[in-house]
Amino acid sequence: MSTIWLQPKTLPEALAMLAADPALTPFAGGTDLYPAQAARFAWGEALPEAILDLGALPEFWGIAADATQWRIGAGATWAQLRDAALPAEFDVLRAASCQVGGAQIQNRGTIGGNLCNASPAADGVPPLLALDAAVELASLRGTRTLPLGKFLLGNRQTERAPDELLTAVLVPHRAGDLRSGFEKLGARHYLVISIVMVAAMVRMEAGRIAEAAIAVGACSAVAQRLPALEAALRGSRPGEVAVTPGQLDHLAPIDDARATGAYRREAALVLVRRLLARLALPEALVA
Amino acid sequence: MSDVQRMRHGSSIGLPVTRRDGHDKVTGQARFAADNHPTGMLYAVLATSRIARGRVAFLDVAAARAHVGVVEVMVPGNRPALAIHPDDKSVPFSFKMDLLQDDRVRYAGQSIAVVIAETLEAATEGAALLAPRYAAEAVEVTLDAPGAFVPETVGVGAPAEQRHGDVEAGLDHAAHRIETTYETPLQFHNAMEPHGIVAAWDGDALSIDMPTQGLALTQMRIAAFFGIRMEDIHIRSPFIGGGFGSKLLAGPQVLGILAAKLVGRPVKLVLTRAQMYGPVTHRSATRQSLRLGAAADGQLTAIDHHVRTATSRHDDFLEPSGGISHSLYASPAIATTADAVRLDTGTPGFMRGPGEASGSIALESAMDEMAAACGIDPLEFRLRNYAEVEPITGKPFSSKALRDCYAQGATTFGWAGRPLAPRQMRDADGLLVGWGLGTAIFPAMMFQAEARAVLRRDGTGLVEAGIHDMGQGAWTAFAQIAADSLGLDIDQVEFRGGRSDLPNAGIAGGSGHTATAGGAIHAAGGQAIARLTELAVADPRSPLFGAGNVGVVARDGRLVRWDDESRGETYGDILARAGLDMVEGQGSAAADQATAEQYSLHAHGAVFAEVKVDPELGQVRVTRLVGAFAAGRIINPRMVRSQYYGGMIWGLSFALHEHAAMDVRTGRVMNADLAEYRVPVNADVPSVEAILVEEEDPHVNALGIKGVGEIGITGTAGAIANAVWHATGVRVRKFPIALEAFSGA
Repeated sequence: MSTIWLQPKTLPEALAMLAADPALTPFAGGTDLYPAQAARFAWGEALPEAILDLGALPEFWGIAADATQWRIGAGATWAQLRDAALPAEFDVLRAASCQVGGAQIQNRGTIGGNLCNASPAADGVPPLLALDAAVELASLRGTRTLPLGKFLLGNRQTERAPDELLTAVLVPHRAGDLRSGFEKLGARHYLVISIVMVAAMVRMEAGRIAEAAIAVGACSAVAQRLPALEAALRGSRPGEVAVTPGQLDHLAPIDDARATGAYRREAALVLVRRLLARLALPEALVA
Repeated sequence: MSDVQRMRHGSSIGLPVTRRDGHDKVTGQARFAADNHPTGMLYAVLATSRIARGRVAFLDVAAARAHVGVVEVMVPGNRPALAIHPDDKSVPFSFKMDLLQDDRVRYAGQSIAVVIAETLEAATEGAALLAPRYAAEAVEVTLDAPGAFVPETVGVGAPAEQRHGDVEAGLDHAAHRIETTYETPLQFHNAMEPHGIVAAWDGDALSIDMPTQGLALTQMRIAAFFGIRMEDIHIRSPFIGGGFGSKLLAGPQVLGILAAKLVGRPVKLVLTRAQMYGPVTHRSATRQSLRLGAAADGQLTAIDHHVRTATSRHDDFLEPSGGISHSLYASPAIATTADAVRLDTGTPGFMRGPGEASGSIALESAMDEMAAACGIDPLEFRLRNYAEVEPITGKPFSSKALRDCYAQGATTFGWAGRPLAPRQMRDADGLLVGWGLGTAIFPAMMFQAEARAVLRRDGTGLVEAGIHDMGQGAWTAFAQIAADSLGLDIDQVEFRGGRSDLPNAGIAGGSGHTATAGGAIHAAGGQAIARLTELAVADPRSPLFGAGNVGVVARDGRLVRWDDESRGETYGDILARAGLDMVEGQGSAAADQATAEQYSLHAHGAVFAEVKVDPELGQVRVTRLVGAFAAGRIINPRMVRSQYYGGMIWGLSFALHEHAAMDVRTGRVMNADLAEYRVPVNADVPSVEAILVEEEDPHVNALGIKGVGEIGITGTAGAIANAVWHATGVRVRKFPIALEAFSGA
């Protein structure tokens, strides 16, 4: 659909191409770009002039651990994340990966693309916020690392400079009794864009919640952590602290074709409560 | 239904024969229209309007033409001439079309140019390079648009207003009255196979591969457009990937024919999914106000059903939702009225159960509300208002096994013991459980069809009729009828269909294809057998000599005396002795006016639904659907069950999912794709059971067939809505039922 299609073989080559022409649209799985192009075409709007196809970059695809963190290549697909032997804190990301589109989409769509596309309803974002993930951005100028919460600026807006590529998602190692999970609400049971999703990771110590990280998606321009709730939960026994609407006050859900903002706010509260209750169950320990 | 009971004389009618085209379809060998690539074929891509009303002010034709691979760009200025204007409606069932006649835009998604190129990619890019500019005008796209008018007719020529008895008196004297308004959404056709065509000209002769539910109707309109003879147009439509009414008439594919004429080469044109939300017709939104009155014992005293719907600004099709109230429930007074607004949309059209589907969800909801108002079980309430004759005409039904449908459906579903009050049942997970009921009804229609049957000297048969297989099983059911009519095994009959150069088999629409084309096929086979019999009984060398026509029957490739089956001979022997290679029969079938005047002709059914509703999130899950249907004679129960399943699942979609969201500022459909225009996925579809209730109809037509294509969508959506009320106590009157409908409940 575009007049230029570049397929670099190495990351330096890709960065050079991007530096030379920052208007290039980076392309990985294409599962957001193709539908967006179809919609643009349907309405007689201009298509992206030039594509930078990242499919041949060897650095892009692996999932690996070093001493301090997990390094997930930006090109890791939902299918890889779904099937990878990752520890229990990644259950949240695994569950999200199972619910992004159908198997064909999961085979093509990438985590890096999901973050760069920056949809408010991106299913990959709340799990990675709950895991305190950072993103690695590379350009000819060098490499920098940003917390995911700083990278995402708004609806379809990120901190990525035009000459930068998102190369990896970095997740710190955690130890202890970790439990994580994901709740997605859509208007049908599968193949559906989220109305609300909730991701949570908790670390238990001696029957108490030592650490909780909870994020809600599709209820604001960028998915949000719930710091007041997380603070309230810290040191409590499961079920001891009630989740209150006030702890979700900073969400800013909108009315759209999928649901009203008021409904989203109610549903988010329900889903947070349900997810925490589920993580408190003994069987949640079975990863 | 007992399959064995229906067997006779080796006939396969009534047997669940598997799909004859199934193997080809699952192995990818079935060639759909777009699979055809004649030599020299070019690709055409539509450029469509992003505005809903106004003019195209500029198209960068030079840029598109300059793109590598682009052969030609068709715009109003160079579009080949047509013999009649695209707005000409002189051909039966015609609607105004948009074939690049000028720069006007009448709805979003209207074709404004066609780019023709060596590859699909080049044509697509060329279309994007057109970068149109518009002079846009303000649009109206909602039912609240100004200028509501009362149409003369709705649907296909039905009076917009029909009255029987005194509705106001009936309401005045009622012990219970309800007045409610239901809203059904704008819905778009989304058949798996988008509309497409491969068109090739040879002089004035035209060869077309195109899915169509109406070979002859399509041929007629195309002939009129191009000023050529119908017989010079050869349409092949062996398989249709779903039609549902959207492929009945010559659609935007005519642009592909024009493109082929312009470039003098074969052209393929296939709409994208997004382009399905413009020119291929849709079901209008409706707002239906129902007033019902009932006596203290639950007998209805009045039904008043008013429908507000919409058509396009330039043409008329009014979703006839009120019609369902004419025939379903006994009431001494019935009134149905309609008004409509004109919108900047494409013209609505036939969409599975046009009128019946949208009307049913409103009437069944209102009946449920009245049952609750009377404090009567919804099934008992419907039985108290059972129509022994068609309420609005007083005519008897040609047959009506609806009581059996209610009884068998209720037993299978386990309706007995349903609590009267809502919100009484929960499952082990705390989900609210509800049971609902809806009555299904659909008229038994017939159109016109012809067929030809041949018996050959080698003992085989040939039957020809331009039938249409939309996936409903036409290839199979008609072959069964053909074999039965010739007294041959199904594998001894060569059956030809799906082409325009065969006898005109009418249309696959109005659930009337099997009855109509089947009737013609059966008549043709019968005539071939009669001719063969004449040869035998007049021939002194035949063991059938002197038996007389009425004394002979066809069995397994032989004619035998009915009173002594040992006396007979094979078809081949009769033909050989007569020195003939074959005998031929011709048959036709059409609606019989006398029958239609004497009887009300309808199929009936009862659909029972169980739903579970998450009390906190409002998520509705349909967990069980049981439908029991009586539709006269069943040719193939396997195909018919599949039709009922499909209809019931569409009913589920109607109640809970389908909804085109219109941007009221631009008149554009905001969810013009299958990600956001929701239809159920497998995970949304519960256990579905279809019960085939025995029904013999001696009047409806020669074969006793009523049709099964559309009835499944009626009853079901209402049953689900009623089950949702029973689960939650919340009566949702706006469809599809949204998650937030239960907020605060």
